[in-house]
Amino acid sequence: MEPILKLEKLEKSFGDLHVLKGIDLEVYKGEVVCVIGASGSGKSTMLRCINLLEEADSGHIWFDGQDLMDLSTNLNALRQKIGMVFQTFNLFNNKNVLDNCTMAPITVKHIPKAQAETTAIHHLQTVGLSDFIHADSRLLSGGQKQRVAIARALCMEPEIMLFDEPTSALDPEIVGEVLDVMKNLAKEGMTMVVVTHEMAFAKEVSDRVVFMDQGVILEQGSPAEVFGNPREARTREFLSRYLEDKGEV
Amino acid sequence: MDNKKKTSGIVHFIQTDHRYAYLGGSVLAIICLKLAASQPSVSSFLGAETPFVLLLKACASVFLLVSALALIVKLTHWKTYSHTWIKNPGLVKATRFYSWFLAIVFFILAVDRLLIKLIDTVRECIALTSNPTEFFRSMIYMTYNGRGMMVYGIWTTVRLALLGTAIAFFLGILMVFLRIQQPTRRDNDFIKFIKTIAHNFAALYIFIIRGTPMMVQALIFYYAGFNIFTHYTSMSVSQINEVWSFFISGLITISLNSTAYLAEVLRGGIQAIDAGQAEAARSLGMTEWQTMVKVIFPQAIKNSIPAIGNEFIINIKDSSVLSVIGVMDLMFATKSVSGIYFRSLEIYCVAALIYLVLTYLSSLLLKYLSGKLGMSNSRGITSSN
Repeated sequence: MEPILKLEKLEKSFGDLHVLKGIDLEVYKGEVVCVIGASGSGKSTMLRCINLLEEADSGHIWFDGQDLMDLSTNLNALRQKIGMVFQTFNLFNNKNVLDNCTMAPITVKHIPKAQAETTAIHHLQTVGLSDFIHADSRLLSGGQKQRVAIARALCMEPEIMLFDEPTSALDPEIVGEVLDVMKNLAKEGMTMVVVTHEMAFAKEVSDRVVFMDQGVILEQGSPAEVFGNPREARTREFLSRYLEDKGEV
Repeated sequence: MDNKKKTSGIVHFIQTDHRYAYLGGSVLAIICLKLAASQPSVSSFLGAETPFVLLLKACASVFLLVSALALIVKLTHWKTYSHTWIKNPGLVKATRFYSWFLAIVFFILAVDRLLIKLIDTVRECIALTSNPTEFFRSMIYMTYNGRGMMVYGIWTTVRLALLGTAIAFFLGILMVFLRIQQPTRRDNDFIKFIKTIAHNFAALYIFIIRGTPMMVQALIFYYAGFNIFTHYTSMSVSQINEVWSFFISGLITISLNSTAYLAEVLRGGIQAIDAGQAEAARSLGMTEWQTMVKVIFPQAIKNSIPAIGNEFIINIKDSSVLSVIGVMDLMFATKSVSGIYFRSLEIYCVAALIYLVLTYLSSLLLKYLSGKLGMSNSRGITSSN
């Protein structure tokens, strides 16, 4: 089977800082890949390079049979199929919840307004926000904002969803509501790449766990392998620290 | 926001605060005595020394006596003041009512000795046939007799500021759009070239306009336009002045000048918006243009509204330099009136007062408008159920 997303020798530097030192990763359709690792290991940068919010210096990003790194590729067309959920939600402040969800389908895909709204309401219902359809997006709680952000991404009917530490900015108490939405999404067969510090979530939901350290993928495998029997000493060190701090795993 | 309506300072003061009743009342009483002693004008309804005036004077004097008594008690019973007979609740209440009564006395006297007097003075000055020597009377005389010019000047000033700021707003959006163009790796060579040109043009425009005085700009625009007409048409000077009027060239000057400032204001507004907003839009597949139009500009403009209002107020004042090319604004009118009546200080003080009123009214209006705008968008979660 062909992977839906394939990274090849991806490199990225910010000035003198070498953040990604040759990343190779394959993601298959329907797979949930969780990327874990210490802060500064390049997880978020890798994710942001996938839909070119950061432009990698070299390497290839194969998606839908096209290389996103090729300068002639129509980025906007491909980005439509790659949903992205940010740590800081990034809801459009000048729009209410419904308009946040319908703006891109209407302007980018030229879907009629009524139809876009029906789709948006459907997705807002699945994330449990049918009571907040006309609410001012700035007044929602963090958990609600993040669920709107997920619904907004879903409205474009993406083939793959990227989550950039989606619960890191949330109170521990409301992390659960966002993770539940993501679990349901995974169950429905959405292809997902999730950068996260929620080890319990990674263990439960992911098909594959990727451990990154200092700009490289140090090891990857099923959650049972990585969490139960990590090969690398660095992975063990990282996981044991989480075990101490969070009482998880 | 707290829903409970807190009694504002002044209401609280009037209803419950007694601390300053003696002090404030005494000041009021002294002013009342002064006013009563002053010369009444022609249409005064109280007259000079009528029994009613004497009664009012007596009221004020009695209050002063009571206050003096309280002061003596306070001085002699510094520590135990609150236990003395003067702090008897009934007496405290009575003095407060008395201070209220005094306020009414003051109001009656103020109307008679100040307002009526002012009206009489104005009527007197209007009837005069030559410019009086006294400063205040001369102000009234010149303002009244030059009223046609002054009103036209105010109208021109307001039009210049309003139209100038409105035109500059749209040109400023255009200018900032050029200013923020940055060629990226993905643009082809032609787009890169266009973007570089656009960016540099806007930067240069802003640099030149902000670095030179508007008065000089006004002269350059006016004469440049005038020369173009004389060179390329066979129109006479008066014909040119009809097409390329002082007002038109002044309006163009103020618009082009404000464009540079508003472009910078808007650029600040754009930079203040979290980069995540644009990233979210781009990640959904929106183009650079769509992101600008649908996400960034609406927010940036909204954030910039106070600064845009400020630019309008600045334009009310700064349009005065356009009088140098002969635009008949308030400044030009003032100069003309001063030329006719051979007096300067008086009428320039009037002009200053008018500018002050115009800017103050504008700032009130802007406050009201921006308040309304802010309100409608940040209040109340509306549930769909």
